[in-house]
Amino acid sequence: MSGAGTVPSGAVSPLAIADLVVDYGEKRAVDGLTLSVRPGEVYGLLGSNGAGKSSTIRCIVGLVRPTRGSVRVFGLDALDGALAVKARVGYVPESPILFDALTPREFLEYVAGIRGLDPAIATGRAARYVDALQIAADIDRPLVTLSNGTRQKVLLVAAFLHQPDLLVLDEPFNNLDPRAVRIMKELLGRYVASGQRGALFSTHAMEVAEQVCHRVGILDRGVLRGEGSLPTLRREVATRDATLEAIFLRLTAEEEGVREAVRSLGEGPG
Amino acid sequence: MNWRAVWRLSGPLYAEIAFQAIYALNLGNLPPTGAAGTLSIVARRRVTQSKLLVAAILALVSVGGFVALAARTEGLLAPGLDRGLYASAVIGAVYVLELALLWWTGLQVLPAYLASSAVRFLETLPLDERTLSRVALVLVGRLFDLPALACLVATPLVVGVGLGSVAAGVAALFGGVVVLVLAIALALRTGDFFVRRIQGAHAGHRQTAIRWGYLVLWAVPAFAMYGVIALGPDVLKFLGDAQAAGGERLGLTLAVFPLPLGALPALLGTGSPVLGSADAAIALALVAYGLLAVAAAQWLAGAPRALARTIPSGTVPETVRAIVLAPSTVVAAVVRKDLRIASRTPGYAFVILLPLLDALALGLLTLASAATPDAVFALGAAAVSTAALLAVFFGPALFALEATGYGYVRTLPLADRSVLGAKVAMVVLLYLGAAGIVTVLTLGRVFAPVTFLAFIAGEAPAVAAAGLFEFGVLLARARRRGLPLVNLFSGAWWATGVAVPGVIIAGAPLALFQTFIGRAPLPALGAMGLLSVLELGAALGVVLALVRGGR
Repeated sequence: MSGAGTVPSGAVSPLAIADLVVDYGEKRAVDGLTLSVRPGEVYGLLGSNGAGKSSTIRCIVGLVRPTRGSVRVFGLDALDGALAVKARVGYVPESPILFDALTPREFLEYVAGIRGLDPAIATGRAARYVDALQIAADIDRPLVTLSNGTRQKVLLVAAFLHQPDLLVLDEPFNNLDPRAVRIMKELLGRYVASGQRGALFSTHAMEVAEQVCHRVGILDRGVLRGEGSLPTLRREVATRDATLEAIFLRLTAEEEGVREAVRSLGEGPG
Repeated sequence: MNWRAVWRLSGPLYAEIAFQAIYALNLGNLPPTGAAGTLSIVARRRVTQSKLLVAAILALVSVGGFVALAARTEGLLAPGLDRGLYASAVIGAVYVLELALLWWTGLQVLPAYLASSAVRFLETLPLDERTLSRVALVLVGRLFDLPALACLVATPLVVGVGLGSVAAGVAALFGGVVVLVLAIALALRTGDFFVRRIQGAHAGHRQTAIRWGYLVLWAVPAFAMYGVIALGPDVLKFLGDAQAAGGERLGLTLAVFPLPLGALPALLGTGSPVLGSADAAIALALVAYGLLAVAAAQWLAGAPRALARTIPSGTVPETVRAIVLAPSTVVAAVVRKDLRIASRTPGYAFVILLPLLDALALGLLTLASAATPDAVFALGAAAVSTAALLAVFFGPALFALEATGYGYVRTLPLADRSVLGAKVAMVVLLYLGAAGIVTVLTLGRVFAPVTFLAFIAGEAPAVAAAGLFEFGVLLARARRRGLPLVNLFSGAWWATGVAVPGVIIAGAPLALFQTFIGRAPLPALGAMGLLSVLELGAALGVVLALVRGGR
């Protein structure tokens, strides 16, 4: 976790979420979440399963209508200006479920068409990412025949195709091989460093978050329990050398629960 | 594991198949809104409703057979033909329609069966081979249960009552079983062909042409209805000739599928001496088709499991083409995506191929007929009208394409109006494509080519209006409650609910043209064109208001 980008005076925040509430029937998935992503920053959203990470991300990309609160991307309301927001966002979903019947080339052409990209520009960008992620051999094979890892790579290419100002990545490294993970980790920091870009990155993998994110927010049962850079969070839990994993467990009050679970499972079979 | 336990084991898997058939989450659709506890119940109810609809259509086919038998229509349709031979033909026609409809239903059902991965999950559990095969078989059986029941109950019933013979009814049950087994086997065989040869085929012009060629197979069952209507008089005439010739020719004729299946109940119900003279040929053919059905049933015992385990391995292009993207405009991008998906998805390919193949068939028939130029115009206009109505009737199924990858597509800057525009464009293009085929085939023989082209152009706005109405309603509902899937199996009610008014919208100018054509072509074309444009204007106003503010 390196130094966070600071907001230049007058710069519009790539992402500003205020008092976000998401209810599914009687279940509250996100409860009054407020956070922002600064220009030049990779913000990591950490949380256990069901903590509200994906619900938050779905509000940003227009898949879920919040019960309350606001989501603004570069000052644009994600609900009122949905099309304009979507034009500036690159999104990688948690599961690589795509059009099974399309090939990666056909899928990328579709995305480029919807985004109104110039053919030469789309070709140039796609070729660079496809080569880097080593999926050129699969470019004309239907997605249904490809591995989850390859499909995930196709989604990553699609997310970068229009050089978005805000990247929203929901567990983007799931299924990826170590080489691709390394490339994406290196790329992410460099990508947001240019211009006013930002990235929101959700993950369970604490070591990835430590390496990639400038700041993290720890989400637990829909509530933000802690936020900041690693040194800030260490100060918050009053432990100088704590790993992000230890901080996470402390802030979500799960340390004792983990010990209890291990004790219970370690008692032997039966 | 006994059959009772197998049935219990298949219960949750059937629920999963129904769930995926309706909500298509494994195809990338968004999770449905609504109370979580009721989703599965709603899915099963909707699947049952769709099966009921198919069963009702099958029952209607049987009732049609009953009317033909009980009303003694042979005097009207085939004077001089032996009643027994006529009854054989009628019952045979019912069987052909049942076979086609069951086969077609199977093709609609199979994607849900394959996509659910339900059987593949069972493979990971410690269950023996026989149990796994039985569960897969029961699952497929449950997908066909109500239509199968209609086939096995309605036909024997109407044959028995229609011919006034219990023995004839019981004999008709034999034919029903043979037809059912063969239809399910055909559906699974073509499904297997789809997984092996179409789903995983790589891109490229030649591969695409081959795929579309294969996909023509999926439109074949839909032409059974045409076959029965168009070829019915010829079949009756052929039977009349065979009756006159008697002997070997009669025997050979009655051995052709599905006539022997109809001949047995007809013989028992009418005691026809003509059929009696060919009883050996009928018996031999019945044994042959019975054995074929037994072989198909034996194959079916293992086929559902084998099919569920088949993973599309795909073909690999010989050379890797350079990464060159050719993105198009937004509407064109959606149309291209739909066409590309359809080229690897039989259910959608069928929707596209049906109006085109229909136009080809009717155009060729028109060309081959020795009719006068006026009659050619009338036949050509009828072919164009059929193409318009088919494109509009089956068009709503194209909306279901949006469920695929919907969870991702919703994150793209794609406006509702663009989706709407693309879907309407598809329907209009289908109409114009089919009309173009008819024109190319018949224009040389049409008395007034300009009038004919004006007729095609005059109908186009009405087709667009019908498409706008259909897709506008579906889109508005999709935004409120999640995407409805509209194929024959999982969303038949929604498909029918919008398709019937759509057909009325598209059909009104055609009816108006027919009303006025007796006087002069120009007023007829004028009235038709005016109504067509007015309909388009009205549909635009209503639908754009419906989707206003969408994204």
